[in-house]
Amino acid sequence: MENTNTAAKREVISRKEFYKKFKKKSNAAEIWSRFLKNRTAVVGLIIFGIIVLLAIFAPLLVSYEEQAIKLDVYNRLQGPGNGHLFGTDEVGRDIFARIIYGARISLSVGISSVAVALLVGGILGSISGFYGGKIDDVIMRVMDVFLCLPDVLLALAIIATFGVSQINLVISIGLSFSPKFARIVRSAILTVRGSEYIEAARSIGAKDGHIILRYALVNCMGPIIVQVTLYVASAILTISGLSFLGLGIQAPTPEWGNMLASGRAFMRDEAYLVIAPGLAIFFTILSLNLLGDGLRDALDPRLKQ
Amino acid sequence: MIRYVVKRLIIIIPVIIALTFVVYSILYMAPGDPAQIILGNDYTEEAAAQVREDLGLDQPFIVQYFHYLGDLVRGDFGESYVSGESVGAQLFSRFPNTFKIVICAMIFCVAVGMPIGIWSAVRPNSIFSKVTMVIGLMGVSMPVFWLGLLLILFFAVHLGWFPASGMDDGWKSLVLPSLTVGANYMANTMRTTRSSMMEAIRQDYITTARAKGVREHDVIYDHALGNALMPTITVVGLNVGALLGGLVYCETVFSIPGTGRFLVESINKRDVPCVLGCLVIMAICVAVSNLIVDLIYAYIDPRIKAQYSGKGGRSK
Amino acid sequence: MEKENVKNTLEVKDLVVQYVSDNEIVHAVNGINMTIGEGKTLGLVGETGAGKTTTAMSILNLVAQPQGKIVSGEILLNGKDVLKMNHHDLRLMRGDQVAMIFQDPMTSLNPIKSVGEQIAEGLRIHQKLDKKDAMKRAAEVLELVGIPGSRAVEFPHQFSGGMKQRVVIAMALACRPNLLIADEATTALDVTIQAQILQLINELKKKYNMSMLIITHDLGIVAEVCDEVSIIYAGVVIEHGNLEDIFDHYYHPYTKGLFDSLPDIENRSAQLKPIKGLTPDPTNLPSGCPFHPRCEYCMEICKETRPKMRQLNDTHFVRCHLYDDTDERKL
Repeated sequence: MENTNTAAKREVISRKEFYKKFKKKSNAAEIWSRFLKNRTAVVGLIIFGIIVLLAIFAPLLVSYEEQAIKLDVYNRLQGPGNGHLFGTDEVGRDIFARIIYGARISLSVGISSVAVALLVGGILGSISGFYGGKIDDVIMRVMDVFLCLPDVLLALAIIATFGVSQINLVISIGLSFSPKFARIVRSAILTVRGSEYIEAARSIGAKDGHIILRYALVNCMGPIIVQVTLYVASAILTISGLSFLGLGIQAPTPEWGNMLASGRAFMRDEAYLVIAPGLAIFFTILSLNLLGDGLRDALDPRLKQ
Repeated sequence: MIRYVVKRLIIIIPVIIALTFVVYSILYMAPGDPAQIILGNDYTEEAAAQVREDLGLDQPFIVQYFHYLGDLVRGDFGESYVSGESVGAQLFSRFPNTFKIVICAMIFCVAVGMPIGIWSAVRPNSIFSKVTMVIGLMGVSMPVFWLGLLLILFFAVHLGWFPASGMDDGWKSLVLPSLTVGANYMANTMRTTRSSMMEAIRQDYITTARAKGVREHDVIYDHALGNALMPTITVVGLNVGALLGGLVYCETVFSIPGTGRFLVESINKRDVPCVLGCLVIMAICVAVSNLIVDLIYAYIDPRIKAQYSGKGGRSK
Repeated sequence: MEKENVKNTLEVKDLVVQYVSDNEIVHAVNGINMTIGEGKTLGLVGETGAGKTTTAMSILNLVAQPQGKIVSGEILLNGKDVLKMNHHDLRLMRGDQVAMIFQDPMTSLNPIKSVGEQIAEGLRIHQKLDKKDAMKRAAEVLELVGIPGSRAVEFPHQFSGGMKQRVVIAMALACRPNLLIADEATTALDVTIQAQILQLINELKKKYNMSMLIITHDLGIVAEVCDEVSIIYAGVVIEHGNLEDIFDHYYHPYTKGLFDSLPDIENRSAQLKPIKGLTPDPTNLPSGCPFHPRCEYCMEICKETRPKMRQLNDTHFVRCHLYDDTDERKL
């Protein structure tokens, strides 16, 4: 009796261990713990966290009007230090203040343009993936044509048409990224379209829109979140790029790209003018890329070597 | 094979037409009166009406578009609103500069990015591999315009090795712009090569090859590389578009008279025909590079080759 | 005795293989012994994860690097220790003396090389044929496995699953190896194709007097092609014998379990009796006899001491404490 008892107990334990090891881990806690094991991803999260905090609490750290906007020609082109962490620019504004206010612009425009892209692309991609057939063909052929145009050029075309403003920037970047999101959402929907729970939802008479939102999209959030992270990075890159060309955020509003553009004329002697804003862009993009890669690995551990 | 090439060529034509249509319709919606831009201070109601009639601006959108398309087929890109010069002539005087940089950047990316990607995939745990991964990640996160400024600061201002701007210094003036615009691209190629190579090395047919007694060198460079090349080429091809996008920044930073800078200048002047011309020519470049990728792909991948060679009819 | 004089193609002695990952060690093979005589076929039977494939890969010295490690043991191939060979000798041995047919024909062919090229590759390496002769030979080998030689220029995607497996077999046979290892060679195929492939393997074995190692979990295949059988559990051989010993007089409770899990045609109403429990976690093997947590006959000693191999007769061996002091069958 004793024998079989312990044997049974052992079996239970080994089965538990088995599940612990091989069970398909899908809940958020598991993903999170896998994410935390990835050192580079955590570094990305920390850097991005710092940038976000600086952007949110910028008004507590520096005064927008006094330090980021007001001209102070007596203190122009002061090197780093001396009460100005990153020095002052060609008209005496504090570069650190402009950078953290620039972060507000970059992040808000970047995130809202990806939101636009996700909305437009998401709707098109869902329709295309969910219904398939002719609609799918038409939408995807049109998206293919848009995908032929580099997104910077598409954004430039829209900017050229509607003129330069913050709202147009959001729209142009959002629209130029939409075809990509349409593709991503479509393929995500396609992977779940045939699933039984979708059939089940249909069989109880749920409306298509409801099925797409509550059943299909929810179950393919993983890859979409990864892409959102990576595209926020490219949106921020595009914003500063367009601003650098003079077609994005206009001076005196502080933005990293237009800071680079205005600092460029003085960079031979005052290199810090282009170093600080450039580093700000670089670290933001880098952290988002690390974050995106880390999320991808955490969501799909098979992809990792 | 020829059938495949012809089929691809036929597909590309509607794509290009669709692209011109997209770009034309976006720019058609531009507010502002072209007549105003053309006439400037000489603006009068009668003159404006005359200009509109000359340019066909009083006709419906679709008629205007087909006029444009018809001219385009004959190589006529129209005239600049601002200077009155032929857009085509301006484009073709600038395009060679752009083309040279693109080619150099691509050579740089393929010649450097792919070998590094392969080596680091073969020894994924080596220090070399880890260092290149970090560099690759930095490369894809580097803004083109900032990298350009940094390279100017270091190599032009500090060391004085290469010119900081223009295209007047022969091959020397190509170096920094190509590096600038190619850096992202190279990093991307490197990362893709690495991951597709690692994927290929993991496959069963690699074990099969080893079990046959194939030399390790041939296992990697013959069996694995052939398969890894396909996803790599796709990414290299898809990124030509991004490369052209980067050129807009690069040409601005280095003050190079190329298509990208012409585009930015034209947007600033609201010179719609010039903007249109630039976008159309860049779109054609992207479409052509996609075509080239497809052809290379077909050359490497026997599945496509067999489909069109006429006798491999048994495929699924 | 006549048997003593037969030359052994393969002798594996106390082979131990481990996979080392981040913080754990997978004990895949824990002291396997086996012998395959010239022209003989040995079946290696066990559940998934019992270490069958690892054993096979060890014979080619191709255990996945860098995690896999052959810790100790000897693998004598025609008297020469594979584990002591240098890179060059290993390469010359692989594909020439020992060839392997892999589990999944769908993935074991390189999609971008024609099947002819893939068969010819081994010939060019081992028989130093030039490209043209090798391709000619490759076409002949294809004919041998029942594929028209003209299809040598075609690519793997142009073949069906069964045909692909024939190609894989042709590839393995091209250099007429002394030892052919078939790792679940028919598992991925339809039952009808399975039968064809088995028949083909049997014919070719006789034709060339090859020794064979058949790895499978399917006892039916064993009955069809093997001379001897080793039952393997958690990386050790727990029972070994000829077909008669194993099929009619099995001694080990695990072997009994394997046969009980098979459906019985004569008595279809009888319930299947699957072995309870799961294969042990190879990172944390049970103490004593690795099978004891699942064993109906488990005794105190089984939990503490690893049983020794006991010889029952000329051909039959068992590793179980039930037979520590008796040869009488207790199942």
